[in-house]
Amino acid sequence: MSQLWLALQAGVQVLFAALLLGAGLPAIFALGMRSLAYGAGGTAEVSVTATPHPVGKVLAVVCFSVVVVAIVLGITWIVGTGMGYSLVFDHLIPTFRKK
Amino acid sequence: MVVLGMVILTSLAFDFTNGFHDTANAMATSIATGALKPKMAVALSAVLNLIGAFLSVQVALTVTNSVIRIQDSTGAPDPRLTANGGSALLLIVLAGLVGAIIWNLLTWLLGLPSSSSHALFGGLIGATIAGLGFSAVKWVGTGTKLDGVVGKVILPALLSPLIASVVAMTGTWLIYRLTKKVAEKFRNDGFRWGQIGSASLISLAHGMNDAQKTMGIITLALIASGQWHDLHAVPLWVKGACATAIALGTFIGGWRIIRTLGKGLVEIDSPQGLAADSASAATIIVSSHLGFALSTTHVATGSIIGTGLGRKGAQVRWAVALRMLVAWLITLPSAGLVAALTWAVGHFIGGLAGAIVIFAILVGCAGYMFWHSRKNPVGHHNVTDDWDARAEEVLPIEAEQIEAEKEVVR
Repeated sequence: MSQLWLALQAGVQVLFAALLLGAGLPAIFALGMRSLAYGAGGTAEVSVTATPHPVGKVLAVVCFSVVVVAIVLGITWIVGTGMGYSLVFDHLIPTFRKK
Repeated sequence: MVVLGMVILTSLAFDFTNGFHDTANAMATSIATGALKPKMAVALSAVLNLIGAFLSVQVALTVTNSVIRIQDSTGAPDPRLTANGGSALLLIVLAGLVGAIIWNLLTWLLGLPSSSSHALFGGLIGATIAGLGFSAVKWVGTGTKLDGVVGKVILPALLSPLIASVVAMTGTWLIYRLTKKVAEKFRNDGFRWGQIGSASLISLAHGMNDAQKTMGIITLALIASGQWHDLHAVPLWVKGACATAIALGTFIGGWRIIRTLGKGLVEIDSPQGLAADSASAATIIVSSHLGFALSTTHVATGSIIGTGLGRKGAQVRWAVALRMLVAWLITLPSAGLVAALTWAVGHFIGGLAGAIVIFAILVGCAGYMFWHSRKNPVGHHNVTDDWDARAEEVLPIEAEQIEAEKEVVR
């Protein structure tokens, strides 16, 4: 029974972290797409007469940057773990620590 | 020495099947949505698997410890099994691998994405029961850590598809909601890029996680037969060979499975592809970070089902999903049964001859299944053809009958 409990605990942890990263990041990406379309106007949006808004492009860049940074951190983490390091966030600055 | 050679060859063969069985997990959705051309997708995945495999510097030699008792906690093989050049241990490992490979090939023939790690653990468990009895299997872990067959294999397998599908469903819903005002063409082009990125992450993580298992097993065999003594390192050639085997397998591409996952389960659009791949990548990476090892296959399938549930109007083909579920449930016992039978054959013939006979059985079965697959080949040319429920949601033998009926009608 304790194994079931442990698995559920781990499962819930995985669920929340994966929701944040696996659904949150795509949502930010989608927001970037929306901003890009808003920025481009014209046929990029559903209403064909939409006019371009430069501010949309800026927002899009911000959104895509967040996603790219997250992915780079993800890869760094994978590589680091393989090398026997773990990635920790000291005051939000990612640093490597030897396991 | 000859037996050791066969164990190494069989391990690499397993690694190869592991590669092509799991190409689908990372690339099925990218291929289905047209984000990547089929050949390009498998090539990218293969390269990333190769890199991933080489990146796994710290390889645990204790792969088998969570389910069976043939090693101690440092990774050293059980001294009772190492007498006579480790022949007892080598036979268990060889039979276990044979069971795993045969099951992997059979599910591939049927186009079913079953978990390669379940096949491997199932095979090892079956061979251990046959060789050492039920008590040599760690069924339920004790104490405060997840352990044993229940804690490390069964419970994670039950939870992982659920977790992945919830994440993918949420992601899909959010994406469609946020991009409602974006024109379809514009949206699809953008999401294809995101999809390639997340699919690449899955491939990299896969190479790291899965090639390691084989590296650990080959090294265990080397230690048991006295060819290697370091419990903290893996010989470089083992690492190179495993990385190459898994990458080659990935490159060959398990097209049948890619087809089932990419086209059979749900008809997916680019935004759904991104949602599914991100959900898989996040779930796999987070769970291995927390030491809650999940099967890539279960996660990827759960994500794809989730993305079908999250989009209004999308339909999940539950008949296909049900077949997969059945395959998952029987993977562990089936691979175990094949491995146990293989062990018995090897044991009763005995010695070198026994090992040679079971190796020959493996080659024979593999050859037969490959020959059978040529009857209705699935390759990069037809992998994204429209799904024909009547012809494909049946066993290959029935598919042949349906083909024959069509011929008559023509």
